[in-house]
Amino acid sequence: MSESRLVDGLLNHNDVAFETLVREYGGAMYGVILAIVNNPPDAQDCLQKAFVQVFENIQSFRRDSSLKTWLHRIAVNAALMLLRSQKRHKTVALEDYSQHYNKYGERTVFATHTAHIDTDSADGSGNNIEQLFERNETKTTLHQLICQLPEKYCNVLLLRDIQGLSTKETSVYLDLSEAVVKTQLHRARLFLKAAFLKAK
Amino acid sequence: MLVIKRLMTRYMPGMLTCQQVDRFLYDYHEGQLSFAENIKFKFHLSMCTDCQAYVSGYKQTIASIKASEQIEQRPEKIPEDLVQAILKSIKR
Ligand SMILES: [Zn+2]
Repeated sequence: MSESRLVDGLLNHNDVAFETLVREYGGAMYGVILAIVNNPPDAQDCLQKAFVQVFENIQSFRRDSSLKTWLHRIAVNAALMLLRSQKRHKTVALEDYSQHYNKYGERTVFATHTAHIDTDSADGSGNNIEQLFERNETKTTLHQLICQLPEKYCNVLLLRDIQGLSTKETSVYLDLSEAVVKTQLHRARLFLKAAFLKAK
Repeated sequence: MLVIKRLMTRYMPGMLTCQQVDRFLYDYHEGQLSFAENIKFKFHLSMCTDCQAYVSGYKQTIASIKASEQIEQRPEKIPEDLVQAILKSIKR
């Protein structure tokens, strides 16, 4: 079925069109969601929710974007929503791992003080990354580490480095300026870099 | 080497400091530096082992993040029971 005929069918609430959509695009959407939530049962749940949204919002689909792009965005949003709902009380306080410099712009040792650049946890008592590694007997996986970043850093990292979206696409998806995406991504990477060094 | 680097970053026009290298790092990694910026960036790196280590750590981190998602494969199709569950939840 061509994309345009498929969309016609969807707009007319045609059962065959819906089934075709699920079968043809379900795998790709599932892959997108799985990469973000990193857990197959959650990803299946999430895919189901994403398709409900597709069917409820198909009237708002504009033919100037491709169906694939539209579905991709719905899948990403559904996955980020799921992460958000799981995030409560699990966010780390981001220590400021950025480098420090003397007045000549030369690197100096890492600052010993910890500046909290963000604490999304409700009571502000986030855990630092060392505690996280110590507390978990099993090694904290990279994905868990990413998910424990404050939401804004986590989201840009997931979209840019894991989904492989461009800075511009990420800025559209998250409704941020490209400059903000760049800054947040850079900070998130520096944080993970420091976390890796400590975990070694 | 440290002394030479110090003298150069302080007195040589256009020589980047380590701090400026950090500011250029994101765009460098994206391949977004201008021709001149790229030369300055690389010149500093060739002089500075601290920045070499810093930049290679940054690249490795990104590579690890990207590699972490290769573990789970992206399926072509979803299993039949999931297809049925989805169709059922739509037709409620
Ligand atoms: Zn340097």
